[in-house]
Amino acid sequence: MNADPKQSCSVANEAEPTATMTPMPVWILGLMFTLLFLGAWYFDLYGGWFEPKVYAPYSSVADVQRFQPKKGGIADTLARGRKLYADNCAVCHMETGVGNPANGCPPLVDSEWVKSPSPTRMIMLISKGLSGPITVNGKVWNSGVMLAVGDSLPGDEKEKAEKIAAIATYVRFQFGKIAVETKPAQVLTIRESIKDRTANYTEAELLKIDP
Amino acid sequence: MKSSSIVFLAAFIALSASWGAFVLAPQLQLGREDQAKTVPAEEKYPVARPGLAQQGAEVYRSLGCVYCHSQQVNQQGVKVEVVLLDAGTNADNTISALAKVDAQLGKAENFIGLPKKLTEVADIGASDAIVKAVTEAGGKIEVNVIPTGADISRGWGKRRTVAQDYIYDSVVQPGTRRAGPDLANVGSRLADPNWQLNHLYAPKSVVKDSAMPAYRFLFEKRKVGKVVSADALKLTGEFAPPAGFEIVPTDDARALVAYLLSLHADAPLFESPVTPPPATASATNAVAAK
Repeated sequence: MNADPKQSCSVANEAEPTATMTPMPVWILGLMFTLLFLGAWYFDLYGGWFEPKVYAPYSSVADVQRFQPKKGGIADTLARGRKLYADNCAVCHMETGVGNPANGCPPLVDSEWVKSPSPTRMIMLISKGLSGPITVNGKVWNSGVMLAVGDSLPGDEKEKAEKIAAIATYVRFQFGKIAVETKPAQVLTIRESIKDRTANYTEAELLKIDP
Repeated sequence: MKSSSIVFLAAFIALSASWGAFVLAPQLQLGREDQAKTVPAEEKYPVARPGLAQQGAEVYRSLGCVYCHSQQVNQQGVKVEVVLLDAGTNADNTISALAKVDAQLGKAENFIGLPKKLTEVADIGASDAIVKAVTEAGGKIEVNVIPTGADISRGWGKRRTVAQDYIYDSVVQPGTRRAGPDLANVGSRLADPNWQLNHLYAPKSVVKDSAMPAYRFLFEKRKVGKVVSADALKLTGEFAPPAGFEIVPTDDARALVAYLLSLHADAPLFESPVTPPPATASATNAVAAK
């Protein structure tokens, strides 16, 4: 046996690998902190801070808040009117306002009744309903009776007026292209003047009223 | 083991950290979502599905519709449309007020055929000056917030879907694959139950290039009695049953269609604002032309 380690192993002169503590290279540390900083900065800018009400493309509650539709504008009234129309009117006049020839419901689209300069007739019609035939765009329609939808709406007189105003605003805007909001106060005044009426209107009666 | 307590501690920290991040944090963030109100109409949203539609959700689940249809709408951005509704009593005044803000907007031809879209801006803040000028001049103006994105331009929705849309789903089925179109708003897009039934029975009868399999087992083919049933499908050409037979939907088909028609994720919510675009002159004309 050769006892001389220098001859038996040619790498004996090289240092053994060690497992002692070695300081982390400065550049890795720098890169880590840079990435951490960029990540935190990006999160702060776009992350929304875990707010449940913040989704992309918005980045904070304040940001979402700015994009909220304004309350009380005509858009608000139209949105309420659209819903009320769908619930109360669309079953006969259809969602698109084209009416239903099968059971004699007249169309609202471009109807001269809808395009009338003031909503007075429409408010009366919605409030108390209509009996008998009605001429719309040169054609006679007869569904028998339109119910007093306005009177049967839920709520007290003030709420009813608000709802009728929303319906009238929506119908005039959507089907008559008249972008004028009907105010609840206007509806209240008209409804006050006809509050004792129980019978439906007829076409002849409505025609007597200023359009 | 030499350092068992350290191993245990490390495993405990790793597991509890992931539990905290994936279970506890989302629960704290969204776990208490409840029926909310739409903005600005303040209607309750979402409303619970009617019973038949609730059963339909189970049919949807059992047929594996979720493997080809997603129920989630993506949104990339948002645009803001400024629409002039009314020029006010003194239109000239409004025109000059607008011209001061932007010479392009303050032109007389912008005031013909109201309501009319004046301009489109990327950020809502950019519209403030226009709104202020017109309102002070006595005119009426509206700012429409319109979400944008590939899904929305396909007509699959008006806005992105959010957690609020799913709170009444006992099994949420947002899906991941889109072999077929997204169904988050199918109740608004294709609201005709007869169309839906025909489509389930023979997809190619209503969509020529449809890749959807026909779900004929949801229907019953039977001999016509004294009269044709009121709810027999109206099919034509190669899809029609042989003479003397009729195709009627089973309860499962009816429930599934009720469920599909109950899918509307388009209410304007705080977290996903969208102004319901009011009828423009062209939209109303399109209806009138029908």
